[in-house]
Amino acid sequence: MAVTLQKPAEQSTENTNGQANIPPPPYLGRSVRIVGPVVNVDMNQSPHPKNQRGELGKPLFNWYHNTVSKDPLTRVSAPNHFADRRHFLSTIINQATKGKVNPRKIEVPDAAAMSRHIKAVAHYMGADVVAIAQAHPSFLYAGSRYVQDGTAEDAYQETSPADLVKKFPYIIVATTAWDYNKLQAHRHLIGDAAYHISQIKGNMILKALEGYIKELGYTALRGVCTPQAAGVASGVGELGRNGLVINKTYGARIHMPDPILTDLPLVADQPVDNAVEDFCKICRKCANTCPTNSIPFGDKVVHNGIEKYKINWLTCYKLRPYVHDYWGSCLTCATVCPFTKPNVWWHSLATWSLRTCPIPARPALVHALKWIDDRFWGVARNNRVRWLGYDSGIKPGDQACTVAGCNASHEGKGPAKEVAGNVGYYAPLKENTNRFVKRDA
Amino acid sequence: MTLRLGPFKLPGLRRDSHKDDPYWDFFINTPAADLDNTVTELIRNAPPGNVFPTKADIHTPEITSSHVKGMAHYFGADLVGIVKLPAHNPSLSPLPPAAGGKIEEEYPFGVVCVVRAEYDPRTAPGIGGQVPVQNGLFITFVLSAWIRELGFRAKVAAETNGEKLAAVAGLGEINGAGRLVTLRYGADVHVADIILTDLPLAPDGSAREP
Repeated sequence: MAVTLQKPAEQSTENTNGQANIPPPPYLGRSVRIVGPVVNVDMNQSPHPKNQRGELGKPLFNWYHNTVSKDPLTRVSAPNHFADRRHFLSTIINQATKGKVNPRKIEVPDAAAMSRHIKAVAHYMGADVVAIAQAHPSFLYAGSRYVQDGTAEDAYQETSPADLVKKFPYIIVATTAWDYNKLQAHRHLIGDAAYHISQIKGNMILKALEGYIKELGYTALRGVCTPQAAGVASGVGELGRNGLVINKTYGARIHMPDPILTDLPLVADQPVDNAVEDFCKICRKCANTCPTNSIPFGDKVVHNGIEKYKINWLTCYKLRPYVHDYWGSCLTCATVCPFTKPNVWWHSLATWSLRTCPIPARPALVHALKWIDDRFWGVARNNRVRWLGYDSGIKPGDQACTVAGCNASHEGKGPAKEVAGNVGYYAPLKENTNRFVKRDA
Repeated sequence: MTLRLGPFKLPGLRRDSHKDDPYWDFFINTPAADLDNTVTELIRNAPPGNVFPTKADIHTPEITSSHVKGMAHYFGADLVGIVKLPAHNPSLSPLPPAAGGKIEEEYPFGVVCVVRAEYDPRTAPGIGGQVPVQNGLFITFVLSAWIRELGFRAKVAAETNGEKLAAVAGLGEINGAGRLVTLRYGADVHVADIILTDLPLAPDGSAREP
């Protein structure tokens, strides 16, 4: 039973501008439903812009603007923690001049063929997941464009969401997956590498795809759509309890980058049912392991006309300045999600069995699969991960070289030494976050 | 594309998965009308950043080399080699003769990254045909930035004889047409721009003794 956080209102066909031309609410699958009027989200009220303006407090503001990471790879791959902005590829990509639409438009008599082509192009460029959504006004940001770095200006910024989706009826969602093995060292610089490198690669792919659509003679708008809405509507995945889009192949280890709104003739994909709805009702693994208790244990709620699990993004966000020395992106909820597994046969078998199982019988299957997941994968991962000199077996705050055979004289670390055991250490422990995160109980 | 059967792959059987795609030829072979629509130009023209003022605590040259290669593989390189630039052997120099060996003295090592190329970027000018170049630029941009963040100099040298250096690094051999042929991918490869660096590395292949 969903709880309503806001006063419910009559379903209206009028948008915020009073135009009586909004199409009916789209079907988004079983994991999320539009049950009331949706006020388009102002991108300026989303977490990163609020923090950029200092509205989330000094620690977060300083963390965002004034911290340089100790880790060379993080300085290259993570937003805002670089020593030299020119080393961060997304800056280069976001600030680049936007190309023009080719006046020699390619005719598209068969939209299905073009859909297959665009997906093949995105995959060829390196995207792991590509899907197409039918645009809906509720998927679009209100007002100006969303971009974290640089500009995303276009000629349609004054156009209302309802009119935009009439002119540009399709959203292309193309994304990259994080490396599974590195992600096991979540709350660690190794996990950061999995997250951030795939993120900047995804940015590059989307920029190239945007350019290619323009070369075909069609418009491609960025910074217009909310990625989660487009991801769910296009069938990339379903919205989980952790607030992440969960894909059948990669689970929660996919980015939801800024999608492309376009007038290229395409055929939209449909939302999927991978039993995420059934699993999240029972599992609660992400809620149990979240270091900041930002993920709800209870039922879905109605927020801004949308019935979904509502995470507390502010408490999730507030952890970051305190752990800056150890990692940049938490990723715990994505890592522990039972859907987040390597792309191997037993994972395919499990997701296939969930998909094909009749809905009434799914709870029993979910209980069985969760038991297997807890038994073999673990309730929370603390395995030791080693990668290119990084080692999660070294306790936070300690320094040691554990690379076998290294005889370099490391200043402050001493020569290479063997660290026994197969336990990874990931800061902070959940109980240590009490001092800056209020808990209900 | 190599046909894959589960864990096995049959390199001799090629499957053209795009033969029914009426737009594929445009993607591969039609050059961009506006270069601002390509990613390759904007990465290539991006200015290099500064070297981080504090040198990172690095391992032995052999281990550092393996980490550089591991990082390049993680960024998407299919083959990676390291060469010692022959400052006193102009015939092997990747740089124009006018450089006179000075750059090789400042940057004693070259990192060679090779990516798979289903289409030869030299004959396929479309955005699709340039995808191997795009991938190569991504690798060299992030890898060279990472080396600079380690506190060592690194620059991407576009005007280098990459294929020759790749052969020196032991990644393959040069065929009669002057193309790099690798054991694993044949001639279906693109050699990315070389990263010149002073990061202490251990060279591969015949480059140990140029």
